[in-house]
Amino acid sequence: MMPTGLEAIASTDLPPLTRQRPRALWAAAAVIGLAVLLPAGVNQYWMQIGTLAFVYWVLIAGLDLIIGYAGQLAVGFVGLLAIGAYTASILCEKASWPAFAALAAAGAAGALFGFLVGLPSLRLKGFYFAMTTLGFSTIVTQVALGWERLTGGGIGLPGPMFPAPLDSPVGFYYLALGMALLATYLLRNVAFSNFGRGLVAVRDAEVAAEAMGVPITRLKLVTFTLSGILAGMAGALFAARQTYITPDAFTFDLSVLFFIMVLIGGRGRIVGPMIGTLILTLLPEIAAPLVMWSNFLYAVLLLLVVLIVPGGIAAFLERLFVKTAKGEGLDAPAPERLNAVLGQHASPKVLTLQGVALHFGGVRALDGVDVAVRPGTVHGLIGPNGSGKTTLLNAVSGFYAANSGRIVFGEADLAARPSADRAALGIARTFQTPRVVGNLSVLENAMLGAYRQFTTSFPAVALGSRHGVIEDRAIRQRAADALAAVGLRRLAHLRAEQLQHTEQRFLEIARCLVMQPSILLLDEPAAGLSHDEIEHLQALIEHIRSLGVAILLVEHHADLVFQVSDEVTVLDVGRVLAHGAPAEVRINPEVINAYLGA
Amino acid sequence: MPTLAPERDGALLMASDLSAGYGAIRVLQQVNLSVRAGQVVALVGPNGAGKSTLLKALSGMIPKTSGTVSFGGQDITRLTTQACGRLGLVHVIEGHRVLPSLTVEENLLLAALDQPASARRARVEEAYRVFPEIAEKRHLGAGSLSGGQQQMLVIAQGIVRQPRLLLLDEPSAGLAPVLIARVLEVVAAFRTKGTAVLLVEQAVEKALHIADRVYVLVHGRIVLATDAQSARAPGVLERAYLGAAQPS
Amino acid sequence: MLVTILVAGIAIGAIYAMIGLSYNMMYSTSKVVSFTPGQLGMIGAVFGAWFIGVLEVPLWLGFLGAMGVAVAYGFFTELVAVRPVLKSIEQHLYVLTTLAAALMIQQVVAIWWGTDPRPFPTLFGLGAGLASEKYWLPVVACFLAFIGLELFYRKTLWGAAFIAVAEDAEASRALGIPDVRIRVVSYCLAGFIGALAGFMGGQLLLAFFALGATLTFYGFVPIAMGGIGSNRGALIGGFFLGILQQAANYFVGGVFVGVVTFAVFITLLLLVPRGLFGSAVARRV
Repeated sequence: MMPTGLEAIASTDLPPLTRQRPRALWAAAAVIGLAVLLPAGVNQYWMQIGTLAFVYWVLIAGLDLIIGYAGQLAVGFVGLLAIGAYTASILCEKASWPAFAALAAAGAAGALFGFLVGLPSLRLKGFYFAMTTLGFSTIVTQVALGWERLTGGGIGLPGPMFPAPLDSPVGFYYLALGMALLATYLLRNVAFSNFGRGLVAVRDAEVAAEAMGVPITRLKLVTFTLSGILAGMAGALFAARQTYITPDAFTFDLSVLFFIMVLIGGRGRIVGPMIGTLILTLLPEIAAPLVMWSNFLYAVLLLLVVLIVPGGIAAFLERLFVKTAKGEGLDAPAPERLNAVLGQHASPKVLTLQGVALHFGGVRALDGVDVAVRPGTVHGLIGPNGSGKTTLLNAVSGFYAANSGRIVFGEADLAARPSADRAALGIARTFQTPRVVGNLSVLENAMLGAYRQFTTSFPAVALGSRHGVIEDRAIRQRAADALAAVGLRRLAHLRAEQLQHTEQRFLEIARCLVMQPSILLLDEPAAGLSHDEIEHLQALIEHIRSLGVAILLVEHHADLVFQVSDEVTVLDVGRVLAHGAPAEVRINPEVINAYLGA
Repeated sequence: MPTLAPERDGALLMASDLSAGYGAIRVLQQVNLSVRAGQVVALVGPNGAGKSTLLKALSGMIPKTSGTVSFGGQDITRLTTQACGRLGLVHVIEGHRVLPSLTVEENLLLAALDQPASARRARVEEAYRVFPEIAEKRHLGAGSLSGGQQQMLVIAQGIVRQPRLLLLDEPSAGLAPVLIARVLEVVAAFRTKGTAVLLVEQAVEKALHIADRVYVLVHGRIVLATDAQSARAPGVLERAYLGAAQPS
Repeated sequence: MLVTILVAGIAIGAIYAMIGLSYNMMYSTSKVVSFTPGQLGMIGAVFGAWFIGVLEVPLWLGFLGAMGVAVAYGFFTELVAVRPVLKSIEQHLYVLTTLAAALMIQQVVAIWWGTDPRPFPTLFGLGAGLASEKYWLPVVACFLAFIGLELFYRKTLWGAAFIAVAEDAEASRALGIPDVRIRVVSYCLAGFIGALAGFMGGQLLLAFFALGATLTFYGFVPIAMGGIGSNRGALIGGFFLGILQQAANYFVGGVFVGVVTFAVFITLLLLVPRGLFGSAVARRV
C-alpha cells in the first residue's frame, strides 16, 4: 500500500501527498482513458462485457472492504445484489418510479440489509459467519421465488430502464463506467484513511486494535452498510443491463465468483481485485469451452491462490515490481523528536492498584496487590514464573477483570470500563509477543496509535473530505516523528511483517507514543534483544520518562530493570514480595530465593 | 527397527548449535547440550528462557531453524516426535496433560499403541508398580484425578514407552512438597534402570540433588554447563540467573 | 397429517443428522469446519444412482462404488484443502480451501451427470406408503452410524486414539500417537458417513448435482444446535430440523421452508454460540 521509494526520505521524512504515487496516478489516468475510449474501438459485444465488469466492480469495491480489509468471510453476498436488483425493478415496474430514484432506493435497501448481514459478524467468526451469509442469500432467492405477486416468482420481472441517452448500450456503458469510478473513489478514500487502517488492524491484530481503542463494532457495521449501498446499486445496474431478472440469475456460484474476484486480486488492495474482476468476467468469454468449465476453474483458482499466492495478484505484482528489502536494522534513536510527539500529552495521572485480586478457577493469579506508578517515573515489575506480572498488566489494560480491589487511573476507576476505553484514558501498552499489523507499513502501524484522535466521520472520509485529509497528514507527521525517535525512520515504508522481531518491538513502542499516553505499560520489551538494542531501549525509556510519562515496566531482564527503574516491585505467586529502590530489592534475600526456587 | 550406531563420545543425546523458535521469534540460540546414557541432567533457568522450547526442539515437536540433534549416534534432526519415540527418545510435556475424557487405563494403553497388543498389558502393569497411587484409580476418568496424580500418570505414560532417554518438562510444577519428593524419587530411580533423563525444573535446589549435571539456559543461550556439585556452590546460580551487575 | 410430517421429518432429519456426523468427524481430528460434507451426500446419491441405476451393477457393488468415490474425495480434501493450511497461522484459510474443494466436485458432477435431478433407484423394494424403505432406510443407517461410532470410540483402543487426537493433538503427538494418519482416516470415514446419508436417502433426495449446496447448509443447522463435535447434538438437531421443515412445508408452504430454517439457525447461533452440547472457548490474551 505504501510506496517503497527511498526518495520518500526527504527532509520532513514525508512525501507530500501529491507526489505520493506518481506512477500509480499516471497508470490510473491511462486506464480511465482507455475505458472511456473503448466503445469507439470495439464492437458492441465486448462493450457489453465491459459494462458487466463495471457493474460487478461496483459490488466488488464494497465487498473488497468487507473481505479484503475487514477480513469477514461474506461468501453469500449475491443476496445483496439480488435485493438491489429487485428493489429497483419492482419500484420501476410496479410503482413507476424514475430509474435514478430507483437506483437510490436500491442503494438504501442495500444499506439496510448490509447492516443486517453485518450484525452476525460481531458474534460469529470464520466458517459460522460464512455459513450465515450463505443462508441469507439462499433465503433471498427463495423469497424472490415465492413472493410471486411482488417479484413475479420464477417468471421474474423487467429491470429498470434509464432515460435516454443512457438506455442505449453505449450510454449505459458510460453510466456503468461512471458508477465504477465513483465506487473506486469511495473505496480508495476509505482504504487509505484511518478507517482502512483500523479495519486491517481488526482483521489481523484484533487484540492490538482493541488496545488502541478502535471501536470494532461501530467500524464493522459502518463498513457493511457502505458495502451494502454499493451492492444494492450494483444490483440495480445489473437488472438494467440484463433488462429482465429472475431468481436464478442470483446463484450460489455467482456469490462464490464475487468472493474469488476479491481474493484473487489480493486482500487489502484495490488494483488487484479490480484486475481480478476484469479477468474473471472475461474468462468465460474468451474461449467457448471455458463457459461450461468456468465455475470449476474459479474453484481451482481459489484453491491455488490460497495455497500458493495468498496475497493474490497484487502480491504477485508486488514481488515483480517492488523491491522488498528486509529490515536493515535500527538507527540511532533521535530522542529530540520525542518532544514533537509527546509535547502535548495528556495531563499527568497516577496509576494506583489497591488490593487487586484475580483468580482463574482455583488459581490465585493476583492475591491482593498494591502498586502505584507516578508520572515521570519508571516502575519496574519483576518476579519468577507464575508470579502474576503479565496478569497485572492485562488487568490494568482491561483484558481481565479484577475480582476485588481497585484500579484507579487519575480520577477514573478502571473496573467499570471496557478495554477499548483504555486508549481514550491515555493508557498505552506493548505486548509480550509484538502484535503489529503485518500487512500495513511501519508508518501506518504507528499511525494506528492515534486512531481515537481522528475526528472526521466515516461518510465524510468516504466522500473525500478535506478535513479528513488534513487530519491524516498531521497524524502521519506525528507517526514519522515517533518512528525517528525510536530509530525506525529508515524502515518506515516497509511492511511491518518484513521487520525483524526486535524492530517490531520498537514499532509497538512508537505506536504507543503516537497515542500521546499518560502511562506506558511495557510487557517484557527486552526479550530477544541484543545488548546494544537493550541500551537503545534503556535510553528511550529514560527520554520518555523525562517528558513526564509514567512507565510500568514488566521484565525478566534483571539488569535493565535495576538500572532504569526508580522503584521496583517484586511479585511472587500473586503477592508483593518486596518493593523499594532497585538497590534494596536487588540484594533482598527473599527475592533471590524466589527466583531460584526454594 | 534400525540398528543404532555406537554413541559418539559416549553421548546418547547430543544437540549441536541448535537454534529454534516460533515464526519470527528466535527463542533458542546455538545451544550445545549432551546427555550420556543413564545420566540425569537438569536444565534450569529463569522463566521465558526457552527451556520447554528446547525440549520441544529436541523431540521434534517444533521445527529447528539450524543445528543438529543426534540420538544414539543417529541424526534425528528431521524426525517426527513419534519416530523419536520409537527410537527411545520420549518427551513428557509440561502441564500434566492427560487425556481427560479417557480412563487412566486407556491413557496408559494409548502410550503403548505402537507396541504389539500382547506386550501392552505387561507395560501397563510395570507402570502401576512404580505408581500404585494411580493403579487403584485405573478405571476412573483421567480428568477426575488431582494435579499430582495426573502428573504421576503422564510420567507413567513415559515409563510405558520404555524410554532410553526421558525428556521431563517441569514434573513438579504445581505439586505439593510431598508429591514433589515422590516424583523426584522416581526420577532418581531411572538412573538405576539405565534410563537417562533430561529434566527441566523450577525447583532448582531439589533438581540439583538428584542430577549429575546441570545446564543453565538464559534468554535462549546456555550460560552455564557444569556438574551438579559445582553448581551448588554459593552464588554460582544466582550470577547465572540474575546477571553479574551489582547496583551500587 | 401429523403422521406424515413425523415420518417424513424423521427420515429427512436422519439425512441431516448424518451430514452433521460427517462435519463432526472432520472437525474432531483437525479442528477444521469443512464445506464438504454436503457434497459427500451428493456423491452418495449421484454415484449410487449411477452405479445401480445406470450401470445396473449389483446393490452391494454399487454401494461400495459410491462409498469408494466418497472416501477418495475425503482423502483428497484432507490432503489438498486441509493439511496445507493447518500449518498456517491464519486459521480461516480452511474455509476457502474447503469451499473450493466443494465447488470443484459440484461442477465436475454438474458437467458429467447433468444439471437436472435424476431418479435414484429403489434399493430393496421393501415397504410401501409411509412404511416405504425410502423413509426408514435413512433412519436405520443413521442409528447404525451413530452407534457404530460410539462403539468405536468407547470400546476400541484406536477409537480412544481418535478421542485423544481430538482432545489434545499436541499431547497425543508427544505420546507417540500417529496424529496425521488418524486425521487422514477420519476424513475418509467422514466421506463414508456423508455418502451414506446421500445413498440411503437417495430415494427422498434424488440424484441432483446441487444437492451438495442444500445439504451443506441444512446439514450444518444440527451442528449449530448441538455444538460442533457433539454427535448426540447432531442427531437431535437433525431430527428437530427435519420435523420442523416438514411442518413448515405443510403450514406455511414449500418456498418459505428455507426462511424458517434460516431464522431458527441464526437465532440458535446468536443465542447459543457454542451449541446446546458444545464446549468452552479458549482465552484470547
